[in-house]
Amino acid sequence: MRWPGASGKKLMATDLLYALLPEHLLFSAVLALMVLEMFRARPGVGNALVIAVLIAGCGVLARQLSQGYAVEVLPGEIVIDRFALVAKLVILGCGLAWALLFSSRSTFKSGLLFCSSLLGALTIMDSAGFISLVLGIEMMSLPAFALIVYGAGANLSAEGAFKYLLLSSVASALLLFGIAFSYGATTTLSLDAFAKLAASGTVEGVGITVLIATGFFLKAAVFPFHAWAPDAYSSTRIHVTAFLASIVKGAVILAFVRILTATLPPAMVAVIATLSIFSIVFGNVAAIRQTSFKRLLAYSSIAHAGYMLFAFVDTTGGRASDLLWYVAIYALTVIIACASFSSLCEDEDEDGPVQSLDGAFQSRPVAAIVFGLAMLSLAGLPPLPGFFAKLFVFKSVVASGYLIPTTIAFVGSFIGVTYYLGLFYRLFAAPRGLRPETSALRQEH
Amino acid sequence: MFESSPVLWVLVVPALGAIAIGALGGRGQGIARALAMMAMLLVLALSLRTFFSFDATGDMHCFDFHAAWMPSLGIPFHVGVDGFNIYLLLLGAILFPVVLASSWNAPEMQRPLYLALLLILEASLLGTFLAQNLILFFVFWETVLIPMGILILVFGGQDRYRAAIAFFMYTLAGSVLLLVAVIALGAEAWRQTGSWSFELSVLYNLQLDERKQMFVFVAILLACAVKCPLVPFHSWLLPAYYEAPSSASAIMSGALSKMGALGILKLALPLAPQAAATAGPYVIGLSVISILYGAFLALNQENYKKLVAYSSLSHMGYVVLGIFTFHEASIHGSMLQMLSHAMAGAGLFLLLGKLEEQRVPLDAHGVELATHAPRFAVLLMLFVLTSLALPLTSGFTAEFLVLFGTFLHGLQEWRAGMGAGVLFLALLACLGIVLGAAYMLQFARAILFDKAQGAQPVRDLRLAELLPFAVPLALILWIGIAPAMLMSKVQATVTQLSAPGDATHALARRQREEAHGH
Repeated sequence: MRWPGASGKKLMATDLLYALLPEHLLFSAVLALMVLEMFRARPGVGNALVIAVLIAGCGVLARQLSQGYAVEVLPGEIVIDRFALVAKLVILGCGLAWALLFSSRSTFKSGLLFCSSLLGALTIMDSAGFISLVLGIEMMSLPAFALIVYGAGANLSAEGAFKYLLLSSVASALLLFGIAFSYGATTTLSLDAFAKLAASGTVEGVGITVLIATGFFLKAAVFPFHAWAPDAYSSTRIHVTAFLASIVKGAVILAFVRILTATLPPAMVAVIATLSIFSIVFGNVAAIRQTSFKRLLAYSSIAHAGYMLFAFVDTTGGRASDLLWYVAIYALTVIIACASFSSLCEDEDEDGPVQSLDGAFQSRPVAAIVFGLAMLSLAGLPPLPGFFAKLFVFKSVVASGYLIPTTIAFVGSFIGVTYYLGLFYRLFAAPRGLRPETSALRQEH
Repeated sequence: MFESSPVLWVLVVPALGAIAIGALGGRGQGIARALAMMAMLLVLALSLRTFFSFDATGDMHCFDFHAAWMPSLGIPFHVGVDGFNIYLLLLGAILFPVVLASSWNAPEMQRPLYLALLLILEASLLGTFLAQNLILFFVFWETVLIPMGILILVFGGQDRYRAAIAFFMYTLAGSVLLLVAVIALGAEAWRQTGSWSFELSVLYNLQLDERKQMFVFVAILLACAVKCPLVPFHSWLLPAYYEAPSSASAIMSGALSKMGALGILKLALPLAPQAAATAGPYVIGLSVISILYGAFLALNQENYKKLVAYSSLSHMGYVVLGIFTFHEASIHGSMLQMLSHAMAGAGLFLLLGKLEEQRVPLDAHGVELATHAPRFAVLLMLFVLTSLALPLTSGFTAEFLVLFGTFLHGLQEWRAGMGAGVLFLALLACLGIVLGAAYMLQFARAILFDKAQGAQPVRDLRLAELLPFAVPLALILWIGIAPAMLMSKVQATVTQLSAPGDATHALARRQREEAHGH
């Protein structure tokens, strides 16, 4: 199931530059930002630089895609294929949206951390072996911790970041443990060998897959490995929350697609289906009771991790493209939702309760409509993109013959509609502190 | 392009209108209504043209619009007119301008948001009616909820929040299984033909075993039963119809409820014919319960708006009843009942809206319309008479055909020794007509003749205000007096539907021929 076209092409010296051009661009942006900060340039300059680099990166990737470019830069370790290109385009595209929408909050340091984190995410997508994969994951996560603490400012505690750091290192440990075993069993660090081992269904194969998968589940906050997410998401400012819930989470899921190209043995599939259904139901039920937008988003992201995990149940081979769509749509929607939320309660406390949305349509109609549509899209209502993302995942699962799990997952997602709809309806409610008994239009008798 | 695909423009024009009104925002307050009216009249003109040149026996491709959308999944943007939706296209296109014109001065019509939502509602509603692709159908089906939910929420009465949530969550809950069934059908097409497809013409040809058919049937029926609604899935109806402004209630009872009937006709019957035949008697039972229960509730209502809401429940029962007897006459009756109920129900809601505009309490207070507002009284009485199925009105034609078909069907079953269950149900349904006359006449007596208490007398309708109501009345009389021309439009479809076992084959054959001709 590996994307075709990765082999049989001779590596040229220019390929070293061209194949990894987006990564090079990001890396030079990091260096440039450091220098610029030393010279105390205006923050706007740094932000413009980040945006320009991201646009250039997207352009390069689009060109590579249209060429059908594929090359093994470092055979068995760094391979550029179609999946890598599309995945990197998704990551950079979301990064661009983030940088554009939150440009007012950008500083040199946050831009620096953001770019390094993106660089890590890109490295994950290129990897065909475990070394670059682990490097990429750590390169993505470590700047993210710093971003949480840096973004939090003085008024918020570092507890969330600390929890995230702690559980993330547990996840890394599990991952490394699994990799060590995988190396022991296959005497190679390539992802293909691991995929074969996972598909074999032997005891050691299952054991190793469980170790590695648990590491990923922790990072993606799948139930029951989710406990850190609400604290981490709510302990920082909303643009960092958006970054964690969209790009970091999406990259982890795409990394899981990258390593798990095989069709899993039935027992593992059953476990994954169960976990994803629990994630969906738990995330959605827990989100109903939340009163702070960030915590609500955290629980909703647990549910969405469940939907994404659900795609691994599929046996028809549509998994990679389904998840690329899902991650792209989900991440963009989350970023847009957070950006519009922060603009809706600009003058108020942005960590504030969801009540600050009350009556927002009256005061800021455009932002309110954008936020409302983002909510309905997350809920998966047609004709919004979120519906099609879910449709792609679920059609593969149904085609693989899992009709009953799909039905349960749908019921779970129906529960989710309640709180998204609650937020949506708040936009049209009467503003806080000014709540007449009847609507302005209709007199009751 | 304008010539080749009027059905596309029917969807595009209201959407553009909504965007224009939204873009103008507060500045466009003055012209928003005129803009909305223009868009709706344009849709009406296009639909009328389509309707009159539609010939069920001839080539239908001139009313088809087909554009690639998601080719790898077999989801094109495919809308078209056929025997199932030709009435509904007419219905939707007439209802919206009538609603707008008749409540031209209602407070909600002064708000651009309301008008934009109405136009979005019209586009998505007509999209549901016209969709020829299952995914597209589902997308439009759900899209309808969003503008309607906001309409209730923003412009509704005291308890609007609860009503909006109930409306949204109930109808969405019904659709959960529907979506599973939709995807399962697509996967079935993938298994049987080797490629994904959600085109109805492909899905009609699938061979489904009994269990799958039952699942698909139950899923579709559940979604449609919530939308129609049928007892026991009706509890969202009262808050939604009651809390919404009258113009929105008119659209809900007139057009939204017909989506459910269309779903049954167009999806449940052709996709799962055997299951439909098996489950038929039970659904007939449910619909008779709806007819009687709705009528009893209406009989006991103090509030006029609630009374009309429950009468709507009762009348939609006839639609479903007629469909599941699989008799030609009763299916014709069901389709006519959709038109008839849309016109009469919407007319009553709109007239109640006129009273609301004048701050007249609707809680069984006397209004003395007959004395103070004779024109108003006559108009109201005409709609009341349609509702209670007086001969020469559409209500009579439709309900007579439904009951006639059901009766014959019951008689057939009895003679064939299959028990007298359906015959008994047919007799019970006839009781519904009597009850209908009872609550409608009670309502008319109270509102027309009961002494007004203290409040200032009701202002009569001006001639210009009467004009919008002429359109539904004309349609009512047309169906009541000479329905043959209308019925010929859907004859082919009705023939196919009236034999559930063979219907699929006939339909499949037709669709195959169409696919070849494409």
